[in-house]
Amino acid sequence: RYTLLINCSFWCHLTAELVEYFRTQMSQDPDVASAVAAIRSLLEFLKRDQSETILGLRENLTKAIGRLQEADSSVAVSSGGELFLRFISLTSLENPDLSQCRNVMIERGELFLKKISLSRGKVAKLCHTFIKDGAKILTHSSSRVVLKVLESAAADKKRFTVYVTESQPDSAGKLMADKLRRLNIPVTVVLDAAVGYIMEKVDLVIVGAEGVVESGGIINKIGTYQMAVCSKAHNKPFYVVAESFKFVRLYPLNQQDVPHRFKYKADTLKTAEDLNQEHPIIDYTPPSLITLLFTDLGVLTPSAVSDELIKLYL
Amino acid sequence: MPGADKETDLGERIEAFLAELKRGGRGSGETARSTAALLRRITAQARWSSAGDLMEIIRKEGRRMTAAQPSETTVGNMVRRVLKIIREEYARSRGSSEEADQQESLHKLLTSGGSSEENFRQHFAPLKANVIEAINELLTELEGTTDNIAMQALEHIHSNEVIMTIGRSRTVEAFLKDAARKRKFHVIVAECAPFCQGHEMATSLSEDGIETTVIPDAAIFAVMSRVNKVIIGTQTVLANGGLRAVNGTHTLALAAKHHSTPLIVCAPMFKLSPQVPGQNSLTCVNAHCPVFDYVPPELITLFISNIGGNAPSYIYRLMSELYHPEDHEL
Repeated sequence: RYTLLINCSFWCHLTAELVEYFRTQMSQDPDVASAVAAIRSLLEFLKRDQSETILGLRENLTKAIGRLQEADSSVAVSSGGELFLRFISLTSLENPDLSQCRNVMIERGELFLKKISLSRGKVAKLCHTFIKDGAKILTHSSSRVVLKVLESAAADKKRFTVYVTESQPDSAGKLMADKLRRLNIPVTVVLDAAVGYIMEKVDLVIVGAEGVVESGGIINKIGTYQMAVCSKAHNKPFYVVAESFKFVRLYPLNQQDVPHRFKYKADTLKTAEDLNQEHPIIDYTPPSLITLLFTDLGVLTPSAVSDELIKLYL
Repeated sequence: MPGADKETDLGERIEAFLAELKRGGRGSGETARSTAALLRRITAQARWSSAGDLMEIIRKEGRRMTAAQPSETTVGNMVRRVLKIIREEYARSRGSSEEADQQESLHKLLTSGGSSEENFRQHFAPLKANVIEAINELLTELEGTTDNIAMQALEHIHSNEVIMTIGRSRTVEAFLKDAARKRKFHVIVAECAPFCQGHEMATSLSEDGIETTVIPDAAIFAVMSRVNKVIIGTQTVLANGGLRAVNGTHTLALAAKHHSTPLIVCAPMFKLSPQVPGQNSLTCVNAHCPVFDYVPPELITLFISNIGGNAPSYIYRLMSELYHPEDHEL
């Protein structure tokens, strides 16, 4: 019982460190994707974890992922965590001995991290050829991947203008506009309510995604669904840019199906009395409204996304 | 010296092929067959020691061929098929499973340890014979495509139906003629201005005893309410399930959608191309008489190819089986 107590407090200390490490990662490098930061923190956790069996390791990791999700409830952290768990399972199947397994895991984990930090560049390289000279692009809120795509297109000497929605409640669109101005790209901030008004002027819509679900639809900042419906009505292509580690094993059939832990911030979930009175911060866009998805695995149609997920998880 | 002779002979044949491509006027089936035959000759006669060298040679020739006639996409498709054949034969010679190292996928990202750079530098003696054997199989497949598609006709065409088509497609012609042996039905052909290939199609069909009517393109919408099915051919099938087809096909597809008439596309597998609409479009070109139309995948009901019937949303899967992603850009 004494050793159990020690392990317990050690473990609590470890998970507190984990959350701290995650927060430091996010603040030190504002450009890093939250899933990458989550996976990096989990890899650190793995290095310091002291379980004796693989099952124990999996349990600890699951609890650690739970703690991370309490700290940051975005879909990206959830998908990063699930991917890491899958990575552990696949590696442990090949090496049943724990100590050997751990070394292999750490080595492969570092390699995996290196590969996925290059994903954004791959996506940008694929997508910027779709932006033609003189194009007018509409985007929603602030997405680092969309920024990278527009940066590559500008570096390719293409001339285009960008409309960004303000994206309340946090006005993230204004941050995006600032970043674009620094790249010398002409940009206009529009109201969220003005999406229908502006749609006839634009040539294409590009948005990022916080998560890509099994049906090929996406989960993204609230207002994305509206934009997709408008672009369908006006027959404008609706492109999504997302890295492959954002693929998540959810299959929502409508807006209500998306779990509450993604819709609201972690603090809101803890303190709110009636969730129906709270404003959700994300929404779900069904695959029928999406033209193409640009990922580091290639240009995919929404139906190809579930194929990828099946290959990984089954 | 016999080696030098072979090389000059090969060079001459390639030049002759390029000249014929530029002249145009051949059907896509014929182009596909002659491309595959030429690639087989290159494999047999060019000097190479490892799979990597062969792939480089074929890629180089492939780039020249696609540059000679960019609108003829079957050439590029055949080059990509042969490149995939070479990769598969190489993997088989090495003894590794064919599944490994094929597509980029999440699974591969997670499980690969260390650098998995395949550089195809190992020399295998039986590789040449294996590749030539595989290209021969490809040629046999190409020869049988029209028949394979026509064989499926009876499942889709029923008695007393009114079928609409546009322009002239040899695949659709064979398809309809095969059904006509057992069923009686009526065909309406849109003439497809300005080349009016629909007239030749109608003449050919009526010679086989099929009741045919020719209509001008403007009458497509008006007549559509009396049509049971629309069956068309296409020049290319794009990676998202859309089509690049003869001018006027988009109109036909929209009219069919409006009347909820099924649109069936008869296209052999060699027309499947990894291009996506929106990329690499020509700027600074004023097209006054565009030759091709883009038809989006939402307007298409079914693709009938030599391997069976498929929905447009499944095209990406067929593509991943035919071509390797690294060969999408030659």
